[in-house]
Amino acid sequence: MSDSDLTVSELTKRFTGAAGELDVLSGVDLQLKRGDAAAITGPSGSGKSTLLYIIGTLDEPTGGKLSVLGENPFNMDSSQLAAYRNKNIGFIFQDHHLLPQCSVLENVLIPALAGSGAGAAEEERARELLERVGLAERMTHHPAQISGGERQRVAVCRALLNQPALLLADEPTGNLDQQTAESIGSLLLELAGEQNTMLICVTHSQSLANRFPQRYELIDGKLVDATD
Amino acid sequence: MTTTRLLLQSILCYWRTNLAVLLGVIAGTAVIGGALIVGDSVRGSLRQMTEERLGKIDHVLNSPRFFRQELAGELAAHPEFAKQFDTVAPALVMTGALEYQKESDAGDEAESALILRAGKVSIFGVEETLWDMTDHGEVPRPEDGEIILSRRLADQLQKKDSDGNVQTDKNGKPLGVEVGETVSVWVEVPSSIPRDSLLGKRDETSREITLTVKAILDDALGVGRLNLNPNQQLPMNAFMSLDTLQRALDLNQTRDRKTRTVTPARVNTLFVAAKSKADREGDKAPAAANRLTHLLTERWTLADLELRVAANEKRQYLSLESEQQILSVEFAAAGRRTAERLDLQHASSLVYLANKIAGSKESAKFSRYSIVAGLDMAEPPDFDAFTFAAGGPPTDKEIVLDSWLADDLGVHIGDDVNLWYYEVGNHGDLPEQKRTFKLSGIVEMTGSAIDSGLTPSVKGITDVETFDEWDAPFTMKKVTDRDDDFWDEYRATPKAFVTLSTAQTLWRSRYGQLTSVRVSPPKAESLEESAEIYSREVLNTIDPNEIGMAFDAVKQRQLAAASGTTDFAVYFIAFSFFLIASATILIGLLFRLGIERRSTNVGLLGAVGFAPRRVNRLFLTEGLIVVGSGAGLGLLAAYGYAWMMVYGLKTWWFGAIGTKFLFVHVTPLSLLIGFVGSVVVAAVAIWWAMRQLRALSNRELLSGAVETSLTGEARLQRGRKASIIALSCSVIAAVMLIAAASIPQLSEREAFGGFSWQVVSFFLVGVLLLTASLTFLSAWLDSDRSTAVRGSGAIGMGRLGIRNAARHRQRSVLTTGLIASATFVIVAIAAGHRNPAVEQPKMNSGNGGFTLVAETSQPIYEDLNDEQARKTRALDFDKTVGDQSAISRAERNNRLLAEMEVFPFHVKPGENASCLNIYQTHLPTVLGVPQRMIERGGFKFSGAKQDNPWTLLEERLEDETVNTKQSIPIYPVLADMNTLQYSLHKGVGSTIDVPDDENPEYKLKIVGQFDGSVFQGVLLMSDENFRRLYSDRKGFEYFLIEVPVADADDLSSILETGLNDFGFDAEPVAKRLDDFLSVQNTYLSTFQTLGGLGLLLGTLGLATVMLRNVFERRAELALLRAVGFRNGHLAWLVLWENAFLLTWGLLAGTASALLAMTPHLLSIGADVPWTSVITILAGVFVVGMIAAFIAVAEAVSTPILATLRSE
Repeated sequence: MSDSDLTVSELTKRFTGAAGELDVLSGVDLQLKRGDAAAITGPSGSGKSTLLYIIGTLDEPTGGKLSVLGENPFNMDSSQLAAYRNKNIGFIFQDHHLLPQCSVLENVLIPALAGSGAGAAEEERARELLERVGLAERMTHHPAQISGGERQRVAVCRALLNQPALLLADEPTGNLDQQTAESIGSLLLELAGEQNTMLICVTHSQSLANRFPQRYELIDGKLVDATD
Repeated sequence: MTTTRLLLQSILCYWRTNLAVLLGVIAGTAVIGGALIVGDSVRGSLRQMTEERLGKIDHVLNSPRFFRQELAGELAAHPEFAKQFDTVAPALVMTGALEYQKESDAGDEAESALILRAGKVSIFGVEETLWDMTDHGEVPRPEDGEIILSRRLADQLQKKDSDGNVQTDKNGKPLGVEVGETVSVWVEVPSSIPRDSLLGKRDETSREITLTVKAILDDALGVGRLNLNPNQQLPMNAFMSLDTLQRALDLNQTRDRKTRTVTPARVNTLFVAAKSKADREGDKAPAAANRLTHLLTERWTLADLELRVAANEKRQYLSLESEQQILSVEFAAAGRRTAERLDLQHASSLVYLANKIAGSKESAKFSRYSIVAGLDMAEPPDFDAFTFAAGGPPTDKEIVLDSWLADDLGVHIGDDVNLWYYEVGNHGDLPEQKRTFKLSGIVEMTGSAIDSGLTPSVKGITDVETFDEWDAPFTMKKVTDRDDDFWDEYRATPKAFVTLSTAQTLWRSRYGQLTSVRVSPPKAESLEESAEIYSREVLNTIDPNEIGMAFDAVKQRQLAAASGTTDFAVYFIAFSFFLIASATILIGLLFRLGIERRSTNVGLLGAVGFAPRRVNRLFLTEGLIVVGSGAGLGLLAAYGYAWMMVYGLKTWWFGAIGTKFLFVHVTPLSLLIGFVGSVVVAAVAIWWAMRQLRALSNRELLSGAVETSLTGEARLQRGRKASIIALSCSVIAAVMLIAAASIPQLSEREAFGGFSWQVVSFFLVGVLLLTASLTFLSAWLDSDRSTAVRGSGAIGMGRLGIRNAARHRQRSVLTTGLIASATFVIVAIAAGHRNPAVEQPKMNSGNGGFTLVAETSQPIYEDLNDEQARKTRALDFDKTVGDQSAISRAERNNRLLAEMEVFPFHVKPGENASCLNIYQTHLPTVLGVPQRMIERGGFKFSGAKQDNPWTLLEERLEDETVNTKQSIPIYPVLADMNTLQYSLHKGVGSTIDVPDDENPEYKLKIVGQFDGSVFQGVLLMSDENFRRLYSDRKGFEYFLIEVPVADADDLSSILETGLNDFGFDAEPVAKRLDDFLSVQNTYLSTFQTLGGLGLLLGTLGLATVMLRNVFERRAELALLRAVGFRNGHLAWLVLWENAFLLTWGLLAGTASALLAMTPHLLSIGADVPWTSVITILAGVFVVGMIAAFIAVAEAVSTPILATLRSE
């Protein structure tokens, strides 16, 4: 019995298309504990994002096992899965996907709305997170009124609102300049540590990956430990 | 790569968007083109109806007189006739009444009581020639003793239940007339001497003809719809043999046994078929009619005009006289003008019957039934020779007696002479009057003093041997022996003489003011020859137009009238306004959404060096290709739309035009206008869609922006502006509302078009409220609200959903505005429905305080308010006969008759200008308003400042001088506002030229207008002016009756039964108003339905916006699902947003409309069809929500991963 909070075992993913079958993941193994932070790199099309979305339950594996905090999410129905994601997983995408009609604070509160509700406590936590990422003065602004880096910080706050056990970031700095990217990378690691959250970041940026304590490279459908 | 290739590839690449735009354009073209085709169809159908109705009849002479039937043959034999014309058919065209009675063979009381009547029936006496000119199918013409009925007339003679279904007897046989059964026709007996003149016959006014029904004409047969006036409503026609009708009315050829004089058969109408199309219906048709009239005048004789020239051998003069006894003004003038032209001496005279002439009061001597002549004795013509035994010619207050009478009375020069005579009252009654003259002269019994030729011959009076044989319409009193002696020797020779002006002052009638024009004979070999010369010259002088003996190019006139009272294309484009607006906005919206999707393309083209104008042109061209294709296809849809509208007009909205004979007609011009119109409208929409993109920089476009992003402050500022507008509108609306509700004068003062300031104020309040609600929505969507994400579950989702509506504020406000406006129109229109049946008689309302309105087929001369007069018409019930119930019934009937108040009107028939007739009308029926009615007042007027606007009819208007020579009299008339606006296209102050605009003989000036009255379709003028203009119209044919509503049915029944001979047909005023308003209500229903379709398109616009919003937010929605939102959450999110906008629009529109229509809703008779309104609005809500569900399905079906990654 593993004592890991996240266990990925012999995970496979096969796509079937007109050109035939393609094994993107062919037996991925990964184990993380709360507070761990891992970066996954690999060439384009290697299956990094696919692996991330399977871990995030947005996609289903062809084979293998996934256990998060001892639960196999793929045994759940769609409603249970949605609630599970809401409670345990936070997402950060390359594109921030903020709601333009909502203010910064409201965007952060969105996950609460899907869960137990956006009450005073949730708002307080959202404010704390925004203050933590340096956006205290921007809470009432709308996404169109803030910079790309700021938007990504809002997305980070949104991902952390429900204090998820697992934070998944898909190319979080892909659209940002180097300085901002570094700042976001640092913030992610800091916050994940502070929140005692497992962090998995898929990136092309070697400089960002190098800042993670655990690094993996996805080669031929398998994760290869690339930690120095 | 070329620009064309780029265009084509773009069209194909974005085919879904383009297809949506294409469909929108098809919808727009269908509505615009369809409306135009509806206009074409109405015009085309009216033309077709005219052609079917008239068959080969192109020109008609419908004379107020009866002329020789031989005239038709003489006209046809005219060498010029055959050059232009084919056929001429003589006929009798009369108005009458039909009665069908069915006796019960089983003694069933209900069946034995079956008596069905139809009034105002057009009776045609036809022979083979006319029948052949009509579209009669296989139906042969009526033979002697037979009658053929039009379908509508037969329907009228069917017993129906309250739902209009024909009732049947015990055997299932319909209760009503059938082929083979007999009916009674009541027709007025022609009378040469007007019935309401001194010697007019009043005893037998109509005659009953019993005939067997030979056939009932199918509506499809044109002859069944034969009508000399343009009207699409089916007429009640009855056809019988000309010979039958002539014999029944004593108009057939007769031979006097004593004198062997032949009286030729007479008719009153000639129907003519022309040879060429130009002469039939083209511009040359009026000239052809004039040509016919000219040919007629070359063949007519004095007898055709009921005139004669009597040759007086003794006194050597010719006397122009009329069978009517009185010479009409036109004939008298023609007689004088002819004499002057031929340089003949002429003298006018007016003779009258004095009941009694006596000397001073003390004297017991008198003379009865003496003729008094008014003529010029001071300067007599050579053929008049009076020898004064004493004294001399009279002045205006003097009289001259012949020596016979002077001796009888024992009077001397200077003595008073009293003269009693009958004055002819308005109702033909004969109150006796007395006048005292001074005796100025006594003439010897020689020369003109014994000239019996001064008195025109009157059958039954002047040609009888003794006073006892007089066929007088009044009770004769005993004459003296001396009177008998005088009659034996001198017959109707005048015994007394006054000046012509005195005679005319006392005895002029509406029919004229002379009994003869005497002239010296023109030189000829004999007096007979002189008479012929003079007769021919008089005939040449008479203007056939002045005496109603001119041909009318009936087909050309009716075809011209087929242009319609109002262009139905305009109606339907107006009705479809919201449909067109919705389609336009939808096109703009769809195009805009398509362009927005391609905003990066626009930016890219700019970035690679395309000039902004070129980019615009590129997209506009692409749009126009799609629009052009859509408009082309839309023309097919337009035909379908028009077909549906025409079908609707024949079925659901039958009341609007009242005919089934409506067919789709298409003209190329309408298709072209429809195509160009919709392309232009769509191009404007596309231009509007492109306009906002042009404001964006290439960088913004490349980043996918679709509108200029505003800073928070700018957004708030925009919201504040909208708030200020909303607040201002609300404050103004509140002030107006308080004012309108609290200032009573506002409800009395007219703003315009008959609308009071109160009505206008409330409507403005409604419009302001609508504006306020939309600007408030705009402001609210722009406002900064930090509570959009709060709470949980449905309420939490609802908050966020509503916030989502703010994402594209303009889209949301636009679609909501469209729905709100369409709702406003639909509810406001629905609130405009009225049901007059609930309105009680009220002086200042559309019913004017009257309960019944009645019309007759034949004029009634008696005053129905007078008990004695009623007795002559069997309107008096014997209270002494029968059992108690019969006595009670008789008492009640007499009481009802005594308590009713009848206001009779003279009628000059004209075109039906009410909203029930969609042909263009020029001269409607004119009613002569009795003085008592003018003094009574009543009815609701629009814009009148007088306490009693009826007095406007008494105004003397100055003649209008035309071309500095001709002076044209102007007479004031009143009319209903609807008739003026929609049928005549006139207003207060405008004039109607009679008979036509080209050669007006007089003008009718509109001096006031009724508001929603029972007088729709007619003009009203004072009785005085009516008598002056239409002296040939006798008696009364239109009646308004005051009676309590509870007694109305019984009184109707009593009057209809008692006055059956006259075709008396009474109906509740409320029913007639209902008929008029049913047209208005039908139009409202049509408008409402089309508005509903517009609302549906608006809803589709909303649905499109929702789908687009969902499509644009796929990534957001995917993210929400990624962070744990369930499908139910997303459904709530989308549904709330949609429901919010939809509900806002529906509520804002409904509330504003109801407020706007408050005065109407509070008025008596408001009849809002709530069920249909609520159904339409609920239907729109349901459709909108279904569309939202589709959007929801789209939202939840999108795979999260693919969506997130595709970004």
